[in-house]
Amino acid sequence: MTTTELIESGTLELYVCGALPQDEAQYVFEEIQKNKDVRSEVQRIENTLMNLSSEAAPALSVMNWTSILNAITRTRTLGKDTSSNTTNWGAITGWAAAIACVGGIFWMLNQNNELENQVTISTEERNMLEEELEASTDMLVANEALLDVIRSKDYKAYTLPGNQAVAPTAYSKVYFNNDTNVAYIDTKGLPEAPEGKVYQVWSLMLEPLTPTSMGLIDDNTLASNGVHKFENLKDAPQAFGITLEPAGGSESPTLSQLYTLGTTAP
Amino acid sequence: MRQPDELILEMQNGNEKAFARIYTLYSEALYGIVYSVVRDSDLAEETLQDVFIKIWNNSKSYDINKGRFFTWALNIARNTSIDATRSKAYKNSKKNLSTTNFVDIISSTDNLNKKTNSIGIAKFVERLKPVCIKIIDLLYFKGYTQVDAAKELEMPLGTIKTRNRNCIKELQMQVLG
Repeated sequence: MTTTELIESGTLELYVCGALPQDEAQYVFEEIQKNKDVRSEVQRIENTLMNLSSEAAPALSVMNWTSILNAITRTRTLGKDTSSNTTNWGAITGWAAAIACVGGIFWMLNQNNELENQVTISTEERNMLEEELEASTDMLVANEALLDVIRSKDYKAYTLPGNQAVAPTAYSKVYFNNDTNVAYIDTKGLPEAPEGKVYQVWSLMLEPLTPTSMGLIDDNTLASNGVHKFENLKDAPQAFGITLEPAGGSESPTLSQLYTLGTTAP
Repeated sequence: MRQPDELILEMQNGNEKAFARIYTLYSEALYGIVYSVVRDSDLAEETLQDVFIKIWNNSKSYDINKGRFFTWALNIARNTSIDATRSKAYKNSKKNLSTTNFVDIISSTDNLNKKTNSIGIAKFVERLKPVCIKIIDLLYFKGYTQVDAAKELEMPLGTIKTRNRNCIKELQMQVLG
């Protein structure tokens, strides 16, 4: 069938009306794709019929489209509701991430607290170590000063032996500077003073026997490491004695508690 | 009018704006079909709404490579209209109406809002040969097949085909082209 024959046959009019059997409709469709004249004729027929039926239509309410739009929107919403029954992986992932994030924040806060505690402990330890270092340095300085005294030619050393009646094994050593009247007394050889008692050091003039209190073996006179320093002695003493006295010391020595005694005579 | 294939594809993909343009292009022609079957403004509007809801919901079942979109929509409009006339209430209300066709409707409709020269068209369609009116009414408005129309009008198949062409061509050339 030629193009003109097809156009003149009336088949295209039936095609647009939807009145053709399926096989013939398929043939016309193929011709429309291939042939521009057939396509134009079909469009003309369609225009004519559309215009004709438009003329048979009364005025159409403008609300008609709104009703259609409402209906298809409602259908779509219901469709969405149905789909919401399926697992919403996006939301689940979001919530999981949020929970993990909060958990992470708590973990980090906890870690931070622990670290702060560790820093505090470390700071305290460092302070303690600094104090110990300071104490050691002080002690080193004191010991060096003491060593200087012992080595010095200005100081003479005397050993005060223990009183056989009271403390036969006790002893003490005295380093005395005649020029400055300063004495260092090493109490290493003395037993520890009992509670409520204190050792008191006396300088003695022998003719006549005159004891003068130099001071107490306590923290006030401590120079270093069991060595005590006594200054401002009146005269060069002829002997040194150490007695055990009640706490606070005594006006005169308690001879029954004389622990060590020794002269400065050569 | 060239078939707006891009709009149709967009509508098939769920684009409401494309659907709105399709409605603008085709609603009046389809409303004429619906009204010629239903012959009641309120029911016709409701039916037209149903037609377009069906077009939207079933848009994916239309295949651009198998036929004209208008022909596809025309079938939906005719079938939905015929369904609308099957209700008992409709049958009772319309049982005394005499048979009408598109010419009666065009002649009696107040067509002030129409874009074409309605008075001229009314005069022209009234002058169409009665056989043309019958053929176009059956094949286009009522959706008869060629065979059914031939039986109804007691004409050979070929005659139906050529008469239909000549009638439409007359419309086309005179007024509606």
